[in-house]
Amino acid sequence: MNGYGFQLVARMEWIKLRSVRSTWWLAAVTVVAMGATGVGVGVGYRSHTPVATAAQILNNSLSGAILAQLLLGALGVLMVTGEYGTGMIRSTFAAVPRRRTVLAAKAAVCGGAALAVGLAGSLAGYLGGQLAIRGTAIPAASLGDPAILRAVLLTGGYLATTALIGVGIGAVVRHSGAAIGTLFGLMFVPMIVVGLFGENGIVVGRFVPLLMLLNSVAVASPIPGLFAGWISVLLMCGYAAVAIVCGGILLRLRDA
Amino acid sequence: MALPNVDLVIELRELTKSYGGRAAVDGLSVRVQPGVVTGFLGPNGSGKSTTMRMILGLDAPDHGQALVGGVRYADLDWPLKTVGALLDAGAFHPGRSGQAHLTALAASNDIPRCRVEQVLRVVGLSDAAKRRAGTYSLGMRQRLGVAVALLGDPGVLLLDEPVNGLDPEGIRWIRDLLRGLAAEGRTVFVSSHLIAEMALTADRLVVIGRGRLLAETTVAELADRHDNLEDAFFRLTSQVTDYRGTEVS
Repeated sequence: MNGYGFQLVARMEWIKLRSVRSTWWLAAVTVVAMGATGVGVGVGYRSHTPVATAAQILNNSLSGAILAQLLLGALGVLMVTGEYGTGMIRSTFAAVPRRRTVLAAKAAVCGGAALAVGLAGSLAGYLGGQLAIRGTAIPAASLGDPAILRAVLLTGGYLATTALIGVGIGAVVRHSGAAIGTLFGLMFVPMIVVGLFGENGIVVGRFVPLLMLLNSVAVASPIPGLFAGWISVLLMCGYAAVAIVCGGILLRLRDA
Repeated sequence: MALPNVDLVIELRELTKSYGGRAAVDGLSVRVQPGVVTGFLGPNGSGKSTTMRMILGLDAPDHGQALVGGVRYADLDWPLKTVGALLDAGAFHPGRSGQAHLTALAASNDIPRCRVEQVLRVVGLSDAAKRRAGTYSLGMRQRLGVAVALLGDPGVLLLDEPVNGLDPEGIRWIRDLLRGLAAEGRTVFVSSHLIAEMALTADRLVVIGRGRLLAETTVAELADRHDNLEDAFFRLTSQVTDYRGTEVS
């Protein structure tokens, strides 16, 4: 028998993730906030003139993802820094000295959980918006419409990648406050930088997470000049991979 | 009596580690044998904890090696089933229950669930198992740490200052536990800065100061050569004690 494998380590990480309250708080707040945003948007448009389009309602009712990406990003960060802050990391690495296996298991478990929560939140936002516009002249958006379904699913996928980026940043920075600060910075500062490019901003902007979310991922049809939604989400996966690989290298080099 | 099992020997070879230019452990070579309790003694800051962390692969040595049964800790097939460690009384997440903490660690090494209930009973935490570990007293935290160490029923036990924070009854409990584990043929390596406590618990002693080996001896030998163990310890470590108060005049 050649010892523990990825599966056992992932089981450990799953037990750890669901046995702290912060996980459930972050998940619940994510879904509720996204649902509430959807309802708020729908209510706001009810008496709006001219009558809103189905795409307008969808795009805006998914915008709760702006907050959700930070909450799920924090979930990913805490998965790593929560252990460094408390000393738990020494118990973890004593049980599983293969640190990269631990990081991979954390990423898999956290990514899976964040995908489930992200999809639930995205669906809640969509449903909230649709429920709030019932009985008005605003056309309903059906999940049977591929463009609508795609936006809802990709938003969930985008949110999962922000949690993965959080795991990577957590492994690099190791301190909860500093890591969450870094994550927020990486989400918002590039957007300000893009503004400096003026007219040509879109060439850079299509690589910026928050702009991708608002203009390519969580919309019925992407704004011209930006990538298709699924490419944006793949790009986010690439960012997450870079962050996690950096974390994995540092994890090996540094003392626990 | 059977020959000592070489798979259970802890071997330190020229183990060296410095932090910021200051040597914490300096060319330490020691063999810790199974079947007896080996006390690891030294003043504060003498490198005991650093040595323990290097044995567990948590800190990488600058030079030398720390081997358990001839292999590096990182190369063990089932670490928790080979080496049980109590590092400090805070190596857990305060928001997680003692039971969940143990269940998670058990899962990683494929240790059955029933073992978790078993070690909780052994350390006397069954009633508090579902409470968040952050609400535990210092003594209960030590007991949770001991439960983690015992989880995989390992042949080698490493305990860093296990009696810290325990009441007299707890101290006696851990003493009997460690002696019992050694009597079963296990290797028990336990650090302390309390010579009086070690005299009651340990058979063999490894004494270090400023990261260097000062003596490898038995409690009986040390007591024979000097009037009492405390004096013997002070004589051994007098040159290497970094932090010392003075008398109030």
